[in-house]
Amino acid sequence: MEISLTYFLQLTVNGIVLGLLYGLIAVGLALIFGVMEIVNFAHGEIVMVGAFAMMFALPLFALGYWPAALVAMLVTGALGLLLYELLLARIERSEFERSILVTLGISMILLYGMQYLFTATPRLVDTNLGFEGFELGDIRITWIRCVAAFAALAAFVALGLILRFTQFGLAMRAIAQNRDAALMIGIKPRQVARNGVMVATALCGLAGAALAPIQSVQPAMGQALIFKAFALTVIGGLGHMGGALVVAIMLGLIESWSAAFTDAVWQEASVFIVMIVIVLVRPEGLFGGKRVRLG
Amino acid sequence: MRVAGLTALALAALAILPLFVHSNYVLSIAISGFIFVVCAAALNLIYGFAGLLSFAQLGFWGIGGYAAAIAVVDGKLGFAASVMFAALLAAVIALVTGFPILRTNRHAFVIVTLTFALLCALVARDWISVTRGPLGIPSLPVPTFFGFAFASPTRFYYLAFAFAVLALGILYALVTSRIGLLLKAIKQNEALARSQGISPMPYKLFAFVLGAALTGMAGGIYVFHLRIVDPTFLDFYYMQTFLIFVVLGGAGSFWGVVIASALMVALPEALRFTNDLRMVIYGFVLVVAMLVMPRGIAGVFHDRRLNALRAKLA
Repeated sequence: MEISLTYFLQLTVNGIVLGLLYGLIAVGLALIFGVMEIVNFAHGEIVMVGAFAMMFALPLFALGYWPAALVAMLVTGALGLLLYELLLARIERSEFERSILVTLGISMILLYGMQYLFTATPRLVDTNLGFEGFELGDIRITWIRCVAAFAALAAFVALGLILRFTQFGLAMRAIAQNRDAALMIGIKPRQVARNGVMVATALCGLAGAALAPIQSVQPAMGQALIFKAFALTVIGGLGHMGGALVVAIMLGLIESWSAAFTDAVWQEASVFIVMIVIVLVRPEGLFGGKRVRLG
Repeated sequence: MRVAGLTALALAALAILPLFVHSNYVLSIAISGFIFVVCAAALNLIYGFAGLLSFAQLGFWGIGGYAAAIAVVDGKLGFAASVMFAALLAAVIALVTGFPILRTNRHAFVIVTLTFALLCALVARDWISVTRGPLGIPSLPVPTFFGFAFASPTRFYYLAFAFAVLALGILYALVTSRIGLLLKAIKQNEALARSQGISPMPYKLFAFVLGAALTGMAGGIYVFHLRIVDPTFLDFYYMQTFLIFVVLGGAGSFWGVVIASALMVALPEALRFTNDLRMVIYGFVLVVAMLVMPRGIAGVFHDRRLNALRAKLA
């Protein structure tokens, strides 16, 4: 099969956009694991709630993209706060299995609850950006994808600055790196965990809002995303946000390319096979494992 | 004695149920109940007794279902041979994958078993030359056993009933034996168990493989009830259902899980909920059970008995 350069570049751009959105989800997952050592099974459903919030908010703002996306982030952030205060805060750090079952229950309530209320039918979402695009050389990029990539990049930059330069973010990193030492210097783990969960769920809301006009919105959309995000965080190293982001962009590119150039049959399966091999060979992930081991 | 009496009573009631109930709908629910209770009990062996939260059960369920369907359609095997093949294949895959998986820590174990289940679902969808892909394998033949056809729902009811009694009997014998005790010891304190000269690996692997074989067999029988197998057979819904039964009953309690399964099969049906609403209720039950009674129904009863004993002594 002959491949034109234009087509290849087009796929690359689309892949990067998709990868950035996966990254928003995976980074949130890694953040929650970092501050609470919880693997959040409800993460995908929160993205789905964000997409639904976007869909319902758009008509209120005359199809305005940014205000509706902001509403989606606020809705999921508030949902995160609620879930944390009601449920997650009651789970001890050592109760790993319990945390999985509780978040699995939350995901079931959200998924089947939304399915009950709004049926499983996929819905298309239209924004004021429409389906227009612009040309960059020979490549055509729709505004929807461009804006999604911009929003994701802005979120990553903001998150990076917060984690590096603010008390709020430094406390999260401190808890993730060394909980005991963080406690000793007066950081409150509960407060930090709550902030971490809210930031992560707000990122989910942004991802959902950005995905809504690109894909269609349906209650089951979260399940497909969460399993990919699990793979990403594991391959990147549990709790390692930079690693998760790099792997997310790689996945977006691989998906975009292989959907066009290969039979694509084993493409999804190969991601999971790679993940199993990595967990068995390097349980700390590709980018983790700088921790000092004793003995 | 009381347990034995109640069990005999429940078995007798279930054995004569089709004489009074002729609704195919009710019988079909009972059949699902019999199959699911075996899967829940098998999960309970792995999670409740060996302490390993395994999502791989969904994979073995699917492997069993597909293996039985392919054996009967492409392999021209009989019903019993197909189901045995399903159990054997699930057991062999569990044996091969179990060894490396069981060596990981508990975080990685959960993630890897979950990935294994997803991989099975993708293989079912994408390995079209063997599994027929998204279309699945429809119109499976009526199961016959030594010339006896389980054609009517009533007959299939007895088939599923017999399977459930047999499988639960095996699991009950196992968990009340020395092996069951050893598994519990390993779960509670692996280091201590090791120091007593118990090597955890063979026991964990045994529980993993036996659980897989029973789950695969259950899946193999269930496809003959559905009469079709397609990738939705590996829907996460089944795993959630098995987990709910175990968690509500109390992981590590044989009777707790059996009773919870019966309750959770019968109640939503009696209340006539739609499928979505039932899963929402399952989700609520999971969250509430985890927060209020982490050791399930069995835990609540256990605490009550302890309190009664304490009151007597005081």
